[in-house]
Amino acid sequence: MEVGKLKLSKIFKNGIIKDNPIFVQLIGMCSVLAVTTSAKNGLAMGLAVTGVLIGSNVVISLLRKVIPDKIRIPAFIVVIATFVTIVEMFMKAYTQDLYNELGIFIPLIVVNCIILARAEAFASKNNVLSSAVDGLGMGLGYTMALLILGSLREILGAGSIFDKMLFGPNFEPALIFIMPPGAFILLGILIAIFNNVRKKKETTEA
Amino acid sequence: MNETVKLALILFLITAISATVLAVSNDITAPKIAEADALKDENAKREILPDGEEFKPLDEGKLKAIQSSHSNISEIYEAYSSGHIVGYTIKMTTNGYGGEIEFMIGVSTEGRIMGINILNHGETPGLGANITKAYFTNSFKNKSTDGEITASKEPSGDTEVQALTSATRSTDAILDGVNTALKVYNEELAN
Repeated sequence: MEVGKLKLSKIFKNGIIKDNPIFVQLIGMCSVLAVTTSAKNGLAMGLAVTGVLIGSNVVISLLRKVIPDKIRIPAFIVVIATFVTIVEMFMKAYTQDLYNELGIFIPLIVVNCIILARAEAFASKNNVLSSAVDGLGMGLGYTMALLILGSLREILGAGSIFDKMLFGPNFEPALIFIMPPGAFILLGILIAIFNNVRKKKETTEA
Repeated sequence: MNETVKLALILFLITAISATVLAVSNDITAPKIAEADALKDENAKREILPDGEEFKPLDEGKLKAIQSSHSNISEIYEAYSSGHIVGYTIKMTTNGYGGEIEFMIGVSTEGRIMGINILNHGETPGLGANITKAYFTNSFKNKSTDGEITASKEPSGDTEVQALTSATRSTDAILDGVNTALKVYNEELAN
């Protein structure tokens, strides 16, 4: 796959719309369903993944000629795990409340398939700049999906957004939306809407 | 054979570099993490026992004796104000709906709960996680240490606190911990 000539803006847009990791590729869903109980958690998790994604894409792209094919997967995992651990340490040191809320899902970014997928499918075959842009695009696409899902779940399930109450004290939130079933229901609806819009746009563009 | 050695060497190099990078970032963040932890603890103590000016750990032998029968208690501090003991803070864990809940409770020597503070928990956001909300923790303030604390939707009286809607197990977990702490206070610390 020679995508070296792809324009950077196209690579960036691919991650957000055409190949959006959540709405289109449907990868790395476990932590998505679990952490999006509030807008803040969704945003924080999205940014943590974006940071790791850019870092690992850049390093793996730099090392793409050094790493032999036979040991590429363990090499990728070491690079990814290193970045995740760094993010974890810094979150623990500077944003401890957030770290406590996201808990186990931060170390689990190591096994988030988006990151390994981008290393394998993109960063190991493309130059550093394209890989960084790919990481940024995919990361922001992921963040956008988590932010939308987290915001909707928080508004419907808790009646607030970013911890600010939206409705009066008599508002009775639909608790199901901050529980696991609500995550599945809303995610399904969002995927349907996103792909409907995306396809309509693609046919008008073509 | 040669290729195997080469592959091993490359992988070793990558892991060695990664270990170095991690060691450096650990060096940068470790003091900050310890500082943040200590600050959180210190703030929690002041919040749940506002009368305390200085906090000193309980005598180690005494703590060990208490822990032998209540292993979920991790720390007990004596709070002093102008040289007198005014209360105790007890840090312990209890089993919630989503794993262990770590919390701290402050008890005054006058036999009143001065406050509780949830330090770490894995309860369901929006339901059990409401144990951290002020309307729940504040309902413990000034309750008596004499009887067993129970929860009610409309708390009244000296031993009733706020029950959380749809989070009975989280409420019970905290009650369980608080009552254990009160037992320790009454049997080992008071007098």
